[in-house]
Amino acid sequence: MAIFGLSVMVSHHDWAFAVFTVVSLVVIDATYLGGRRWIPAKYLIPGTIFLAIFVLYPVAYTVYNSLTNYGTGNNLSKSQAIELIQRNSIGASSNAVKYKLQVLAKGSPTGELAFLLTDAQGNVLLGTKQGTTPVAAGQIVKQGIRSTIEGYTALNLGQATSRQTEIQAFKVPSPAGEISNDSLTSAFAKTQGITYDAASNTMTDTATKTVYHEQDGSFVSDSGQRLLPGWRAFIGTRNYGRLQLTGTFLRVFLWTLVFAIGSVLLTFALGLFLAIVFSSERMKGKRWYRLAMVIPYALPSFMTALVWRGMFNQTFGVLNRYLGTSIPWLNQPNWARASILLVNLWLGFPYMFLVCTGALQGIPSDLKEAAVVDGATGFTAFRRITFPLLLIAVAPLLIASFAFNFNNFNIVYLLTEGRPAVQGSDAGSTDILISYMYKIAFGGGRGADYGLASALGVIIFLIVAAISAFSFRYTKMFEEVR
Amino acid sequence: MTATPATDRSRFQGRSGTQRTAKGWFVDTGWRHVVALVVCVFALFPVLWVISAAFSTGGLESQKLIPESVSLNNYRTLVKRPFWRWMLNSLIVGGVTAILTVFLCACAAYAFSRLRFTGRRGGMLFLLLVQMFPNLLASVALFLLMQRVKGMFPSIGLGTYWGLILVYLGGALGVNTWLMKGFFDTIPRELDESAVVDGATHAQIFFKIILPLAAPVLAVIGLLSFVASQSEFMIADIIIQNNEKQRTAAVGLSRFVLAGFDNNWGAFAVGALIAAIPVLVLWLFLQRFVVSGLTAGAVKG
Repeated sequence: MAIFGLSVMVSHHDWAFAVFTVVSLVVIDATYLGGRRWIPAKYLIPGTIFLAIFVLYPVAYTVYNSLTNYGTGNNLSKSQAIELIQRNSIGASSNAVKYKLQVLAKGSPTGELAFLLTDAQGNVLLGTKQGTTPVAAGQIVKQGIRSTIEGYTALNLGQATSRQTEIQAFKVPSPAGEISNDSLTSAFAKTQGITYDAASNTMTDTATKTVYHEQDGSFVSDSGQRLLPGWRAFIGTRNYGRLQLTGTFLRVFLWTLVFAIGSVLLTFALGLFLAIVFSSERMKGKRWYRLAMVIPYALPSFMTALVWRGMFNQTFGVLNRYLGTSIPWLNQPNWARASILLVNLWLGFPYMFLVCTGALQGIPSDLKEAAVVDGATGFTAFRRITFPLLLIAVAPLLIASFAFNFNNFNIVYLLTEGRPAVQGSDAGSTDILISYMYKIAFGGGRGADYGLASALGVIIFLIVAAISAFSFRYTKMFEEVR
Repeated sequence: MTATPATDRSRFQGRSGTQRTAKGWFVDTGWRHVVALVVCVFALFPVLWVISAAFSTGGLESQKLIPESVSLNNYRTLVKRPFWRWMLNSLIVGGVTAILTVFLCACAAYAFSRLRFTGRRGGMLFLLLVQMFPNLLASVALFLLMQRVKGMFPSIGLGTYWGLILVYLGGALGVNTWLMKGFFDTIPRELDESAVVDGATHAQIFFKIILPLAAPVLAVIGLLSFVASQSEFMIADIIIQNNEKQRTAAVGLSRFVLAGFDNNWGAFAVGALIAAIPVLVLWLFLQRFVVSGLTAGAVKG
């Protein structure tokens, strides 16, 4: 299997993959055939390989991409881009040489195509896929009214028509460009408009004499005109500059914070309230209420987000129909934000309820009773004794919940897709950072911009890492308190 | 010792317990039922609404909570799409991911828990650090990576659910390894040692002693990973692309309804309900493990 894999990799010239495979094969063999020293590695290697390929490599690759201009229009290597620019620049100029055309086929009428070209001076050329060769007058053979040469059959009009699409795509390369057909009986030479000069690393437009210099992965003229396509190039930290850290990015970031913190606080508040309501020992039927309340959490979140989207629909949705209102739930920025928080409350409160119930049960009741004996009212006892203890128990979960919601793509994308749109910005008013990143990379009008999206990914990671580092210290502090 | 708190509690309850009037009942317990009912309506209304949508004949605009006419038309619309294929894909993705995740984690956790080697502590901390970078953030790189894989091995690259499984497995180690290591640590080492005396190899200890004893935690981690994969949307959407037959239920149904909310609403409701069943059942089963596990872990710190 490994050998098959390697041969495929080598045949695709994917040397990085091949080298990685060889190295890991050597490591694996050494480990499993090696002696006692290698026992721990035997258990660690399977997971580590997946970790290396699908986590570590993508992380490194993300950082690398964030420093390049990779994306639509810049996804080739430089040499491919140069070749493509030159090929695309081939076109008919006004003084193009015209030829009379006889379409030939090698051997039988279904054989490989070739053009027999005669110019105004009566010079004859044979054009094949490889190029043109001059034909001396003596080589020409008559085939009825048509001319051909040895080894080729001239196609009559019917035969040529049946192969028309093939003929249209057929191009004869020539030193100055290429020759292609105009109709079934005429052809003309196209010339290459732009040429690359390797010595000076510039592109020159042969007609206008405009010179294009290399700049950030494409050729740009002095007047700022850019030749397409460009190629992948290292552009330093320019993507980070393009993120408009003070404009769109800041707006999206602030809403992400509001969304994540708001979701945690709302779900925690409702969950805690319900946990207290349900802590009464004399209440009956708690089991059934609890079952009903856990259901939102137990359903897959893609489904619930979409169901709410249907219910929020301004004209047809059940909420507006039953309430008799026409609230623009998802169509007006602030309503849309409120709707997202409402849906996330619905999704998240059962979890907080379960967690708070568990944590409340874990708090020794004698502490609270002692406080009541000392004269504290129920509320004071809760505020001063139960709540701080509860907070210690659930603080790590609140932070985890915050981190989860910070990147809660499902709910934002499936409920609003980040809409309503904000004019002059590619991020909508409910987009959070992760959905903004998705839009830059995969969705959208102006094509994929992997470099910019990767830069945003790196920034989101830095934010999440900073918050996590902070929360680690904070929870340690809590532990010390205990 | 145990008797004292019990009598204390009965004294506290006795204070309000003497007033058995209707008003007293309401102040003490009744309002709790009112709150509970309100919350239940909030929690269940959308669920009832999907159920009703699944069976009613009208579209989004005319649907009532109790459908006026019931039919299976929506189901017939749904199966014009490869819906059962999506379900099967979801189960394969979830099942394979869960089993391999458990295996990879158990191996790593065993090494961290039982074996002593240089870099053990560093390895554990490294896993914790890596876990902080959610693979969502590297989705662009994952996409490009799988695109490259697709060029060489089309059957496991971009546009296939096998590629998706590979990506999910990349995130297998991490928090799960920590959880499992914690559980392995609670299995007495004397068991291993006596097995060693009896001539067992490390592999025998792992497969015949540790794994069977850790079965409950293995099951829970496997089920959690299964459930998580059933509603994952972003990575699945990016990796599977427009390859409709390879989609998971989450991506297939979402893309289906997003393509036309008014027309596909009822059919989506049917599909969503069917897709929710495995997850719902597992959750109700897992609920107590999750609550006790999470809070126990939290209190331990």
